[in-house]
Order: sequence, then C-alpha cells, then structure tokens
Amino acid sequence: MYPIILLSVLGIVVLFLGFMKSKNILLPATLLFLALALGSNFIDWNQGPLLYFYGMFSVTNLTLAFNAIVLISAFLIVAMTRGFQDDEEAQPAEYYGIMLFSLVGAIMIIGYEHLIIFFVGIEILSVAMYILTGSDKRNLRSNEASLKYFLMGAFATGIMLFGIALLYGATGAFSLTGIRGFVSTAAGAQSYILYAGLLLLLIGMLFKVSAAPFHFWTPDVYDGAPSIFTTFMSTIVKTAGFAAIFRLLSHSFAGIYDFWYITLAVITVLTLFVGNVVAVYQDSFKRMMAYSSISHAGYLLIALTALTAQTERSILFYSMAYSVATISAFGVLMLIAKEKSLDGRPNESYDAFNGLAKQNPLLAFVLTVSMLSLAGIPLTAGFWGKFFVFSSAADRGLIWMLVVAVLMSAVGIYYYFRVVIASYMKEGNTGKIRVAPFYQIVLVAATVITILFGLAPGFFEQLL
Amino acid sequence: MNPTLSIFYFLSFLTVLSALMVVFSRSPIHSVLYLILTFFCLTGHYILLNAQFLAAVNIIVYAGAIMVLFLFVIMFLNMKKEDEEAKTNLTKIAAMIVAGTLFVILFGAYRKSIIGAYNPYEYNSQVGMVESLGAVLFRDYLLPFELASVLFLIAMTGAVMLGRREVGERHF
Amino acid sequence: MLSDFGTIFLFILAAVALVSMMLGMARLLRPNNPNEEKLSTYESGEEPLGNANVQFNVRFYVVALIFVLFDVELIFLFPWAVVFGNEDLIQQTNGQWGWFALAEMTVFVGILVLGLAYAWAKGYLDWVRPEPKTPHVDSPVPTSLYQQVNEKYKKS
Repeated sequence: MYPIILLSVLGIVVLFLGFMKSKNILLPATLLFLALALGSNFIDWNQGPLLYFYGMFSVTNLTLAFNAIVLISAFLIVAMTRGFQDDEEAQPAEYYGIMLFSLVGAIMIIGYEHLIIFFVGIEILSVAMYILTGSDKRNLRSNEASLKYFLMGAFATGIMLFGIALLYGATGAFSLTGIRGFVSTAAGAQSYILYAGLLLLLIGMLFKVSAAPFHFWTPDVYDGAPSIFTTFMSTIVKTAGFAAIFRLLSHSFAGIYDFWYITLAVITVLTLFVGNVVAVYQDSFKRMMAYSSISHAGYLLIALTALTAQTERSILFYSMAYSVATISAFGVLMLIAKEKSLDGRPNESYDAFNGLAKQNPLLAFVLTVSMLSLAGIPLTAGFWGKFFVFSSAADRGLIWMLVVAVLMSAVGIYYYFRVVIASYMKEGNTGKIRVAPFYQIVLVAATVITILFGLAPGFFEQLL
Repeated sequence: MNPTLSIFYFLSFLTVLSALMVVFSRSPIHSVLYLILTFFCLTGHYILLNAQFLAAVNIIVYAGAIMVLFLFVIMFLNMKKEDEEAKTNLTKIAAMIVAGTLFVILFGAYRKSIIGAYNPYEYNSQVGMVESLGAVLFRDYLLPFELASVLFLIAMTGAVMLGRREVGERHF
Repeated sequence: MLSDFGTIFLFILAAVALVSMMLGMARLLRPNNPNEEKLSTYESGEEPLGNANVQFNVRFYVVALIFVLFDVELIFLFPWAVVFGNEDLIQQTNGQWGWFALAEMTVFVGILVLGLAYAWAKGYLDWVRPEPKTPHVDSPVPTSLYQQVNEKYKKS
C-alpha cells in the first residue's frame, strides 16, 4: 500500500528534478526513491491480511514479496541506466519518472481486490510501457514497435474491459470476494455469461504476459524497444501480470476450475511450444530473449494451470529467478551490443558474443550463469524455479503437460547454450570492455542471487 | 408495445446501423462521423437506463473531445486513395472466423443464461444520478479515483515527450 | 405524460424538422445553375491550391491530448461538486467530510496541474516563437543624430 503512494509522489518529484541543470542527480535520486519504496513496502510485513481503502486493495505477505521482487528488479535495472547521461536525445527525468509510475501500476495489479483497481493498474503499466518502447525516437524500429504494441495493447484492453463488464453483469460485483461468492452458488457455477466474461478477461491478461496465441507483438516489441526497457518489460510486467492472473483465478474462480483449466492447459502447451521452438531459429540474441520470455510465460502458466496450495510460492520463486537471470543477461547484452555497434546501431546478434571469455571473463561468467539459470540447469535458481513449478503440476496429476514441458526445456538448453558456446569456443575479438563500477555491482549481485538461491532454495522459503 | 420499449428498439437499430457504417465506410472521416452518431445513440441508451450523468459525459468526452482526437489522427496520416491497404483473402477469412466464433460464443452465452430481472417496487430510481455516483466515487472508489490522475499524468508526460519538437524538424 | 427527456426529445425532433424544412424550401426556391467558378472552394479570392486534406504537424495532437485530459478531469468535478456539501455525509462524519472531499479533489487536480506545469515549463506548449529582428544598417550616421534632428524639428 505505502509504495503506491510513495512512488506516485516520488515519480512527480523525479519528473521535476529533470529541470535541474545537472542530470547527474537523477540516477542516485531514483535509486534512493526505489529503496525508500522497498523499505515502505515492509511496513505491513507480518501484519496479516489487510484490506485498504474500503476493500479495494489487499496486502498479504505474499503480495508484499511480489512487490519486493518487482521493486528490486526495478532497482537493478535502473542502476544499469548509466548510458542516459551521454545521450543527448535521451530525457532521463521522463524515463525515470515513467518507470516509477509504471511500478505503481505493477503494485496495483499485484494486490488488487477490486477489478477497477486492476484495470487502472494495468492501464498505468501498459501506457508506461507503450511510451518507453517508443522512447528511442530516432529509431524507426522503436517507433514501429511502440505503435504496434499500443494498437494491439489497446485492443487487448478493450477485450479485457468487455470481460470485466460481462463479469459484472453476471455477478453484480466487481470485487474478487463478491465474484467468488457468486461463483460458489449453484446458479453461478452454471452462468454462461460468467464463463464468457472470464474468458475475455483472461485473454486480455494473457496478452499482457505474452502467452501464445496472443504473443505476436512480443518479438517485434522486445526487439524494437531500447534494451533497457525491454529488460523492464520482460521482468516487471511479467511478474506483476502473473501475480494478477493468479490472484484472479485463485481468489475468485477456483470454484469453476474444471471450466477454465482446459483452456489454460491448451494455451500453456501452445505457449511452451511456440516460445521454445521459434527461439531456436533466431539469429539475434535479443529476439531469442523475446521468445525465451514467451517460453517462460509458458512455464509460469503450468503453475497457474495446476493451481495447488504451492502455486503462489512457485510463481514467486520462478519469477524471481527469471527476473534476476534476465536482468543480468540483458546487462551483458547491452554492454556488448554497444561495444560492437554497427553503423551506430547496437549489434545484438549472436556473433557479437564471439570470443567474449578471453578478455572479459567476468562478463562471460555472468552471462553463462544467467543462461544456465534460464535453461534450468541445477545449482542455479532457475532449476529450483522449474522444479517447484513442475512438482506443483505433478501434484495435480498433469503428467502429459509435464512431458511437454520437460521436452521443451531440453529444446531451451540448445538455444541458451548457443551464446555460451559463442563466448567461450568461438574465435573473435570483443576487446576489453570497460564496465562502470555500478554496473558491475548489479551484474555481480544478480549472479550471486542466482547462485545463492540455486544452492539453497530453502533460504527463500524462510524469508517468507 | 410501450413507448420506452419502442424507443429502445429504434435506438438499438440506429446504434447497430451506424456502428456497421463505421466499419463499412470507405472514407475514414465518414467513419468518424458515423462513430459520433453511434455515441449519440448510446447516449440515448444511457438516458433510457436513467444514467443522466453518463449520458452527458458520453456526449462531452466521447462525441466531443475523443472524436476531435480521432479526426486529428486522420489528418496526420495523410491518407490517399491510391495507397489503400490491400488485405489478402486469408486475412479476411481468418478475421471472419475469429469474429464469427466470438459472436456465436457470446450469443450462446446470452441466450443460455438467465439474467435476473429487477423488482420495480424496490428499484431505486436515483441510482444512476450524479449524487449517488459522487457519493460512491469519492468514498468507496477513492483509491482508483486518485490513481486515475497518475494515469492521466503518465499519458500527458508520454505524449509531450514523444510529440516533442526535435531539432531541425519541419514546422507546419 | 411526457417526461423531461420526452420534452428534450421533442425539441431535438423539432430542431431537425426545422432545419430540414428550411433547407428543403431553399432548395425548391433557389435557381440552380452551377459553373466552375462557383463550385471552387472559397479561399479569400485566391486560386485554391492542392487538397485541403494536408498532413498536420503532430504537435497539434499534444495540445489536443492535454485538452482531453483536462476535459476528463473536469467531468470528475461534477459529481464532486454535488456531494461536496452533502449535509447527511457532513453530519455523519462530524464535519470531516467536507475537508476530506476537498483534500481528495486537491490531490487529484494537483497531480494534473503539476503535469501541466511540467509540460509548460519544459516548453512543450510553446509554438514556434516569433523572433523579431531589428533591421540594422551599417551607416556612418549614428542613430542619436536622427534623434536630435527629430527633437529639433518636432512640432510643438
């Protein structure tokens, strides 16, 4: 609750800090503000389930943990944004301000108790993302990505709103508790308008987390957006989006599991298949990461489809592992793409990584750990993430889905290792890349988190 | 048939007709004008539902302000007759299938479900009035209301940031 | 038997009927022989050039968008104005309600005004500023001399 208010105010403050002559204050100020928001997040820790603002917004330890993941990811990403100072076209105050505002939206959809809050939150988050995607105005691909994302996103929002309207028509309630009350009645379990509304709402939500077949915007948008904002999109939006879907399904619609589980299962398998198989054919690392984010949406969907008592924890752990690994992968990508830029445009192909390990062993190590984690190799956080997700599916008896998921993970190893092989085995010269100390700290921190939770996943359980 | 019902059917017919015309008109400007007509018809529906404030808002914001934005966008695009996009048959068929499926699902859902009728003796006719809206909006819906201003702010910041005049840009 | 909206409806009907009647009558009465000159668009006596449907500058859109945002904000003021002085609510809360509602609206409007102030201060609302140029002539005669001459022969 507190981070929402704090971030709204501090976002405006950052916007106005941009008027100062020196742009150097913006980055430390934003980091400080994020740290403050993170601290205020824990005011409610262990206070039990709380409801704020006339039952609009709920706070539990688990939503606070999701908030913490989102805020820490944002902190790491913002710490990597040192490039803004050098770029004359960049408008850092706006970028930081919009990032802080978008976190407001993310936190809203993590803890919503009322569909209006959910809607306003997802709008704040999406509008911020449309803007950040198009922030590289000189780049035609960025403009195209932004427009594409905006048009499709607006359409998805329309579908979602229609779904909310149908849900209201069927249940007469906007609040999750009210909807659950209706679903648990005999009439509610048979209400077809409710079914239609739920499906439309789910389509809108799944669009935002880029599940197949609603994923078509993802590669172009992730590819066209500036890398730093791609990182932001693929970590924060995804974490918050899955928290929101989980909240909707578990709090309101657990009673009609039999109805939506088939739909979700089909979407899950499709997402896993499309994400992993198409990622194999990519030549650009960034585009591969876009498809990889689709495939990770698939793994998270497995946990949602299973919907056991452990689901929320496994989603939490998985999105933490995924976010941290993605941040470090994109961190290395941004450094290399800038170093090896062609015609002033960053070079994001696999070839840019050739021979990375020789002169930049640290970067190669960070990249390797993050790839291992994304591929789900033991001793990394990603392995335990997948383990928890798969075990919750096994609890539900979704064996056929597990088979698909394991097969697809094997496909994943192939394309994640391509870049590792390129950096260790291939001949090439990247030159010694100078890494700013701040940047280095972020990369090392992300790697340490990945390995730490890989070695001791129980530690995470104890934190909760 | 009582007069309200006949007005309802007439308005619905007009709404659907003008909405169809939005899709079928060749010229985008005509589409926008039909869209305005659609909004006016919806306003009529709001009045029939006794939601007068929404009716006024619909006219002022949608038919007024948003449609101005639409016209602006059409003016930006500089559309010429000759570069009309040619859609392939495959796209058309796919779109037909998707839209048709959605229609069938929704139609079936509406037909099959029983919508609770209201009780005319207990119905509070003031529910759609601006007073009750205000009382709900400024107490129960306090948080979304305030956060809506953050949404506006972010939209404004983004619009001015992206629409900023760049060095060396042509002024009209 | 007519409700208030029925009156409004009749009013609209009357307006439509009146306008179509007048236009129809004019059409029946007026002579109709068009030629090229008459059909061309009136452009202050100039020969019309090109199409009126030209590409606008995107910056118009920014202004239009800010207008829409404030339009929507204005809409929210209406229900607020109605409940702001609601006596029941004020009595229920021992007079706190007025302050509460006022604070709410202040925050809402304040955030938007800050946004406007931001856009204004950044200069996004400025159009291309005219830069007046003072004509400058390189001449050996100093301007003060003209001034003196003017003073000297000024009609008193």
